[in-house]
Amino acid sequence: MAKERWGSKLGVIMAVAGSAIGLGNFLRFPGLAANNGGGAFMVPYFVALLLLGLPLMWIEWTIGRFGGGFGHSTAPGMFHTLATKTRFIKYFGVIGIFGPIVIFVYYTYIESWLLGYSFFALTGQYARCTTKESMSAFLSSYCGADKSYFANIGTAYVFFLITFALNVLVVAGGIRGGIQRLCEWSMPVLFVLGIVLVVRVFTLGTPDPAHPENNVASGLGFLWNPDWSKLADAKVWLAAAGQIFFTLSVGIGVILTYASYLEKKDDVALSGLTAAAANEVAEVVLGGSIVVPAAIAFFGVTAAAGNKSIFELGFITMPLVLDKLPLGNLFGFAWFLLLFLAGITSSISLAQPAIAFLEDEFGLTKREAAAVFAVVTFVLCQASIFGFSYGVIDELDFWGANVCLVLFGTIETILFGWVFGMDKAWTELHTGADITIPRIYRFIIKYVTPLVLLAILGFWLVQDWVPTMLMTEARKGSPQNVPYLLATRIGLLTLFALLALMVKIAWRKRRERGELA
Amino acid sequence: MTIGGWVFMIASWAVILGVFAYAMIRTLRAKN
Repeated sequence: MAKERWGSKLGVIMAVAGSAIGLGNFLRFPGLAANNGGGAFMVPYFVALLLLGLPLMWIEWTIGRFGGGFGHSTAPGMFHTLATKTRFIKYFGVIGIFGPIVIFVYYTYIESWLLGYSFFALTGQYARCTTKESMSAFLSSYCGADKSYFANIGTAYVFFLITFALNVLVVAGGIRGGIQRLCEWSMPVLFVLGIVLVVRVFTLGTPDPAHPENNVASGLGFLWNPDWSKLADAKVWLAAAGQIFFTLSVGIGVILTYASYLEKKDDVALSGLTAAAANEVAEVVLGGSIVVPAAIAFFGVTAAAGNKSIFELGFITMPLVLDKLPLGNLFGFAWFLLLFLAGITSSISLAQPAIAFLEDEFGLTKREAAAVFAVVTFVLCQASIFGFSYGVIDELDFWGANVCLVLFGTIETILFGWVFGMDKAWTELHTGADITIPRIYRFIIKYVTPLVLLAILGFWLVQDWVPTMLMTEARKGSPQNVPYLLATRIGLLTLFALLALMVKIAWRKRRERGELA
Repeated sequence: MTIGGWVFMIASWAVILGVFAYAMIRTLRAKN
């Protein structure tokens, strides 16, 4: 079966940018920057982008295209082609299929809230919520926690079914007919919506004359005024590195898969840079100019600084702010549609590694692979939906978007610079390249990026991972959640073991066909 | 917002938009 290919260079760039641009660009970044030194946060942020983000982008684009040349679109096969003599290396590659599935399982549910809220914005369903408390109750009720606004979880479930079906339809359409087609119209729409919202926020002025201190300039100041003392805190540097990791979609395995559909002579150096730059525009220019300035202009620094999570900013504060504006329902719709488009272009990328694995290693057609993926993940998604109030989503996020991300990023960086070898890696990166990457990046990719990754791995392991793995907080604060968290872990372990078994079977088949030495 | 805040915001925007414009122009002009 001939391997599918992207239809255009811009198509693959938009798909990778679409994968990278997600909820974190608009909700996580502004809060993080404001709480970690404001403008001064941009120093560690840009350092992390140069030493971690861009190298990982180039590494993944290069490994992806290289592995694709051997008929592999997922990490097990790609890692095998990089280290042919190391038989167990393919099992490390399982993380590159497992992680995206785990994230997909809860991400699509959150994404479905955005679809639901776009509909509610248009129909004015949350317009009667005029305080943070009532908007918070609206969200809780939507998720099935109480009956104050929704009788049951039925409405949320319908929007989940629509969102899930849309995801499956897109990935069943394949790389060119599904993913590229969606990203080619949704990314420009996302940027236009973002610009419209930024212009609206910047023209808010001082919404309440009784509180002249609450205005857009003070909102921007909250985000950008530099606090140099924060740079002495290692946690700030770690937070910046983590944000770069999350925002660029590196360390997950999706860029490897997307890049595997490139031709051998297609550029990866400029494409990686363009996709990363597009993501930064969405994050720093658009993401930094909507939520925080708007929230402060309406609620003031004290109230806005009290937002505890990205959910609070996105689903409670922003609808309240936008509802106060003329044509508020249209701006609310624009806000949630923007987030939904950011979400769906990310979730389809999370689905693709598993689908590609079934196609490559088990000979399924793209529609058959999409159907198998749909059945399996639909069952797994039920845990996210019905286990939401028991902390299941946080648990999935911890393993999928924290542990897997850093582990996978570290493994692929060491494989690329040390096992594959920097000379071959550099030549491969520049094959068909439309730009020449500065030679300093040979040193950065080989020494600096792995060291930074190992440092992050060490810090996170001690600071966050060990307490979370031991469920220290859950045991103290919500002991009723512990059985659900344990069940989630058993489920995840089973999924990982099944995927590893599938890799073993696939390699045995390849050996029988004489495809392996 | 303080002058420092404006400087950081404008400088960050300039760097990011500049790199994005450069990368997009090079991408659109590239042959393959």
